[in-house]
Amino acid sequence: MTRNAEGATIVAASVLAGFAVSLVNFARDRSIDAQIALTFLVFLMAFGGLHLAVRAFAPKATPLLLAPVAALTALGFFQVYRLDLALGTNRAGLQRWWILIGAGVAALTLALLARRSISVLRRYRNITLMVSFILLLLPNLPSDWGFPLRGLEVNGSRLWIILDVGFTSLQFQPAELAKLGLVAYVAGYLADHQRALREARRHLGPIRFPEPRQLIPLLVTWGISVLILISQRDLGASLLLFVGFVLLLYAATGTTGYLVTGTFLGLVAAVASFLAFGHVERRVLAWLSPFEHYQDEGYQIAQGLFAMGTGSLTGSGPGLGRPDLIPNASTDFIFAAVGEELGFAGTVSVLALFALVVTVGLGIAFRSRDTFRKLLAAGLTFVLAVQTFLIIGGIVRLVPLTGITLPFMSYGGSALVGNLILIALLLRISHEEAP
Amino acid sequence: MNGPIRRLSVGIFTSFFVLLVAVTWIQVINADALKADPRNSRPALADRGKERGLIVTIDGVVVAQSVEDPDDPRSFIRQYPAGEAFAHVVGYNSFLVGSSGLENAHAGDLRSKRDLTISDLVTVILGRDLRPESVEMTIHSELQLAAYQALGGQKGAVLALDPRTGAVLASVSSPSFDPESLLGPDTATAWESLLADPDRPLSDRATREIFPPGSTFKTVVASAAVDTGEAEPSTVFPDPGQFELPGSTATISNAGGGVCNDGQGITLLKAFVVSCNTVFADLSVRLGAENVGITANALGFNTDIPFAWTIPRAAYPIEDLAEDDAALAQSGIGERDVRAAPLHMAMVAAAVANDGVTPTPYLVNRIFDADGNTVESFQPSPIGRAMAPATASIMSQMMERVVTEGTGRAAAVRGVRVAGKTGTSMGPDGLPNPWFIGFAPVEDPQIAIAVLIEGGGDLGESASGGAVAAPIAARLFEVWFQRSP
Repeated sequence: MTRNAEGATIVAASVLAGFAVSLVNFARDRSIDAQIALTFLVFLMAFGGLHLAVRAFAPKATPLLLAPVAALTALGFFQVYRLDLALGTNRAGLQRWWILIGAGVAALTLALLARRSISVLRRYRNITLMVSFILLLLPNLPSDWGFPLRGLEVNGSRLWIILDVGFTSLQFQPAELAKLGLVAYVAGYLADHQRALREARRHLGPIRFPEPRQLIPLLVTWGISVLILISQRDLGASLLLFVGFVLLLYAATGTTGYLVTGTFLGLVAAVASFLAFGHVERRVLAWLSPFEHYQDEGYQIAQGLFAMGTGSLTGSGPGLGRPDLIPNASTDFIFAAVGEELGFAGTVSVLALFALVVTVGLGIAFRSRDTFRKLLAAGLTFVLAVQTFLIIGGIVRLVPLTGITLPFMSYGGSALVGNLILIALLLRISHEEAP
Repeated sequence: MNGPIRRLSVGIFTSFFVLLVAVTWIQVINADALKADPRNSRPALADRGKERGLIVTIDGVVVAQSVEDPDDPRSFIRQYPAGEAFAHVVGYNSFLVGSSGLENAHAGDLRSKRDLTISDLVTVILGRDLRPESVEMTIHSELQLAAYQALGGQKGAVLALDPRTGAVLASVSSPSFDPESLLGPDTATAWESLLADPDRPLSDRATREIFPPGSTFKTVVASAAVDTGEAEPSTVFPDPGQFELPGSTATISNAGGGVCNDGQGITLLKAFVVSCNTVFADLSVRLGAENVGITANALGFNTDIPFAWTIPRAAYPIEDLAEDDAALAQSGIGERDVRAAPLHMAMVAAAVANDGVTPTPYLVNRIFDADGNTVESFQPSPIGRAMAPATASIMSQMMERVVTEGTGRAAAVRGVRVAGKTGTSMGPDGLPNPWFIGFAPVEDPQIAIAVLIEGGGDLGESASGGAVAAPIAARLFEVWFQRSP
């Protein structure tokens, strides 16, 4: 696939977004309004612009990555728009701005890295780490002080910051960016210390592990970030980071002991949080038997299953189902909403597109010769894949629901910006490692 | 380093594959079960506001229709222009409280095929019609409205059949309700007050409730007696003032309290015409439960009658009665554990009118598409022969004498030969349930009727079938034979 074909596919994804929105309009009002043109133009500007940025700053990057991301964003946006109409909210308008902002920041990332190579992230990894910690801690700012940057507590979780900029205020989840910084730090650290970490000289019974001083910076980083997230009650993100770290550690060393130890520690943490947090216990109950707890904890999962089952093979059609019956459909349950209106055809398409993105990401990692770039590409892809698996798996009852968002599709600006930067980093690595 | 990454990739793709399996399970294999879960409101919501087919009477009066919602041009609202007289037959299709009657029984035909997706286009290309189909009932609107008016708000029911085919010409239950009150914003309030009403307006007394048929059941006993040769109209029976129940000190007495004739003897004909209880208690024991039961079963008792909806079984408990002569004697006058809905008793009259063959009652004549073409028509075959044609002829003569000179004189209509039988059974509340069953004209029967008034109606304790139910039947015969062509 050539760069031109990528451009054509992006135009097609923009048409898809506009067309889906107009189908929703037509089904509900028997009319087509300016939304179709507006949506088409926003997608064309955002992903067309990103495409041009790749041409300018990373011309040798793979042309396979941007198009599926644009298609996933289009599928997600159409459901956010559709749920707006049913619920009387105005999230699509905001989401359109976030798509533009996200694409702009991703293009900026490409531009900044164009002259310096991505190795800056390895060289200045301690700065990256500090910035990530600060980002993670920002929501703990007081929510009632006079300063324009404040923390915000939503549903008992402290994940948000508000930035007042005169006429309006922006809400952001800084953890979505910190996630990238932490992966970059760990990839950098592992690239420098992988040999030492691979030589497990110490013994503890049958388990062999390397010199403690080699592991300590990693454990401290991991411990601090997970502790911060747990204190903010963002258990989904802590789980994501934890799994991402363990996978990256194994990728760097090939030592199966890390996987075993990681799984063991993960189970301990899961049991501990089950005992410590009431809402974890409720979520496990809802996961095991959503229909027995239909009136309370299980309601969301049951509605998600009803939505997907009613959608069956071809779905109700855009605008013709009732995804608005699922609580928080546009954030947590966008996958089930797509499953109701586009049916099995829609959900399989979404899974295929994610599989394509992950395949391309892993391909970049395979082909990279430089250790840091290889580990960074692998780590970013792992985070994306694990996040996708956790949320879809939660909806289809493979794992308990963790309340993290579906990349590119869920409503939410911070996640979109963070994930588009992630794609920009993958594109940059792909460019630098191109033969 | 590519080794571990490759192994992790395998893990990632395996877990994505597991997601695919789970999605397949939910959306393909288990989809129908999830769709049908009663807690899943999506299918009901999808039907809401969609166009439904018409329900019309055999004479072309529209009793249920969908019109465009004036507030929302994309949505339809259901109307029942004929209102209360048709409420139990037509039923309602309410989002909040579900559906009933033909709206429920023929929901699959009445439902719109349109689902506003690409599949509509496929359907049109295949040459199928997206517009909903409509239901044509066998009910005749004039007769139905006349029956509802004749009941005059009394608790009760009227059921009229064409004895030759079983087509239901009228099926009315009173008191009734306005089905449109269950569609609007006040549905919940209306539903609550209908449920709380002690007169149970939602209940269909014509087809879904069974009552002791009283002396109208003597038609069944007399038919069995004539058919088996046990008696003929001229057979003379003893005429005591009281009939002592076998193995008991209790007695059965006659309606007037005295003897039926002269205290010496009485013919079967005379006993039938004046509705003599002592004779039929006696006759019932002489015939035995087995013999009465054979006739009763062939008339539709103890049988699941196929109908638009499930109707309760009419009861004549043969095995119990075979061991209990006292109960058998009481059953001979339609009391004790004998039960029938007006529908069943109309079938009894219809079988006599139809030369002894019991017709299968049916409510829907045909299903037609939006262009008026018949999609499916119905004409069920009869349940079977209940008595020999000669027996039916004798019974017909005896029933005519009931109207010309007996308890059913109030059912007489000028210029039409009417046959019938009255009855007054005792309800659990001590109030009488007056009955009348009959048909006309005797020489070529076109209509068979059962009328039931629950709790005596306006006359209360002093009500009898001849005084309360028979005049309503007369009114219906009049309407039927003067109906507009």
